[in-house]
Amino acid sequence: MKFDLTATAIFVALFVLVTWLGFVAAHWRKADLNRLHEWGLGGRRFGTAVTWFLLGGDLYTAYAFIALPALVFGAGAIGFFVIPYAIVIYPILYLIFPRLWAEAHRLGHVTAADYVRERFGSRLLALAVAVTGIVATMPYIAVQLIGMEVVIGALGFSTRGFFGHLPLIIAFVVLASFTYTSGLRAPALIAIVKDVLIFVTVFAAVVIIPAQLGGYGAIFSAVPQEKLTLTPPAEGNVGDYSAYVTLALGSGLALFLYPHALTGVLSASSGNVIRRNAALLSAYSFLVGLIALLGYMAIAAGVDSKPEFAAGFSQYGPNFAVPALFLASFPSWFVGVAFASIAIGALVPAAIMSIACANLFTRNLYKEFWRPDCSEADEARIAKIVSLIVKVGAVVFILAIPQTYAIQLQLLGGIWIIQLLPPVVLGLYSRSFNAPALLAGWAAGTASGTYMAATQGFTSSIYPLTVFGVTLPVYAALYSLLINFVVAIALTPLFDLLARRSAASTAR
Amino acid sequence: MSRRKTNAGWRRYWPRLLLVVPFLGVLWVPAYNRIEPTFAGIPFFYWYQLAWVLLGAVIVFAVYLIETRLTGASDKPDLGSSGGSPGDVL
Repeated sequence: MKFDLTATAIFVALFVLVTWLGFVAAHWRKADLNRLHEWGLGGRRFGTAVTWFLLGGDLYTAYAFIALPALVFGAGAIGFFVIPYAIVIYPILYLIFPRLWAEAHRLGHVTAADYVRERFGSRLLALAVAVTGIVATMPYIAVQLIGMEVVIGALGFSTRGFFGHLPLIIAFVVLASFTYTSGLRAPALIAIVKDVLIFVTVFAAVVIIPAQLGGYGAIFSAVPQEKLTLTPPAEGNVGDYSAYVTLALGSGLALFLYPHALTGVLSASSGNVIRRNAALLSAYSFLVGLIALLGYMAIAAGVDSKPEFAAGFSQYGPNFAVPALFLASFPSWFVGVAFASIAIGALVPAAIMSIACANLFTRNLYKEFWRPDCSEADEARIAKIVSLIVKVGAVVFILAIPQTYAIQLQLLGGIWIIQLLPPVVLGLYSRSFNAPALLAGWAAGTASGTYMAATQGFTSSIYPLTVFGVTLPVYAALYSLLINFVVAIALTPLFDLLARRSAASTAR
Repeated sequence: MSRRKTNAGWRRYWPRLLLVVPFLGVLWVPAYNRIEPTFAGIPFFYWYQLAWVLLGAVIVFAVYLIETRLTGASDKPDLGSSGGSPGDVL
């Protein structure tokens, strides 16, 4: 690939700008950053506008901007499940999460596991929630690096060997240092820059590129017909329909259980800030639909058959589709802006994810099991150090281990995180569930979901269940969540009975 | 007592039933898995779903407005918070 000086200069300049922002964020809405809820939740003072930028920057990650068009580029219509997904998440956000925010605000909770610990009085269930959160988030941080690496490579840098990895390592050192000093304030401030850049890039792309390619009609006719719609049901198989719907619904139910999403939600200043954002964040859903369309534009532009991009495609696969499309369609300076928006788009979620993991570790492992009497300042100190360790771990993970493992673990993460739905959400609405039953449900869901993914060689999370001769391919997260629910509901009366028996025998 | 409580709940929270509508709109795939009619060259499958993004936002916002202005469901249940702090909008 040819080294592009103009694009690189713009890219580096924007990166320096957000680095500066990351450090000055420590003085924004000044407060004592040696307290965990200030460092790790921004003092719960973010209003509607900041929350809009923060959650938008947090939920729509750089990896999605690269991998989603890549999926559409390769597989077609099935990749568009993200649109129904991005529609259903907001009614879910509106209904459930202001309630969790109110509980967390009232009792000073920083994590979902804090809430579960208090609500069910079970250290073990809280531990399961915390560990699941951390384990599901780590590979999610790692895949952000994949998005970043592709654009650094597309700028013309080699991304092989130690020197090839240097830009990525520098970016993460910078990220780690401003997260350490400023906490959640850093990604909140940087998210404003990131979101503006992404909106500008995508709107420019959906105007300029179709004009070059002869309009949307021409783009869609360049896409092979069978890719344009989902495979309809045939004899004994419902085709893509069930996979499409359950991917949307399952990912939608899982989204706000991710620690980084909850951290964004809990940092809001009121329940109504969350409710307003449930409507306003749809702007990003529209954006994500347009980003998916970039995959078709890459097909129509024929980027994979251009000799100058052959090396990129051979190294990064379909993930190179969007960078190649931008290189082919934009002037150099705007390529710099577009690539910076993707790279900065990796920093914001990576920062929030590492903060969320640090909050979980500190509150629900360190304080709960090692140092119950640790001071507030200790808490914040440990969280800052853990946020560093988490990021080092992500870099080592992506550099030392084949990338496919990170991708497969991220896919498994979606199956694992949805198992938190019963403990976190049922407790908000019902007093009838007990901790041992929920723990058993969690274990059954996690085990069955992992098994289903294993039968697919960890390359797909769609599990083709055959009942009465009809094959029903469904997102494994949803099947396993169903098992989780059934176990929790079935075992609740049993554990209640046992609890009453033992209470009665001790009374006697 | 419980009946009165249920009625009060209905009066406050009925707008939330509207939140089912976006689910109905996008989760029944056979309704929109086709190419015709196209809109400005964009197949139905794509513009239909993109239109639901906007409709979904309108519905959620409508529920928010009805709850805050009419039924009063959303202005109180933030237990323990003072609600409208100065930083609420920014």
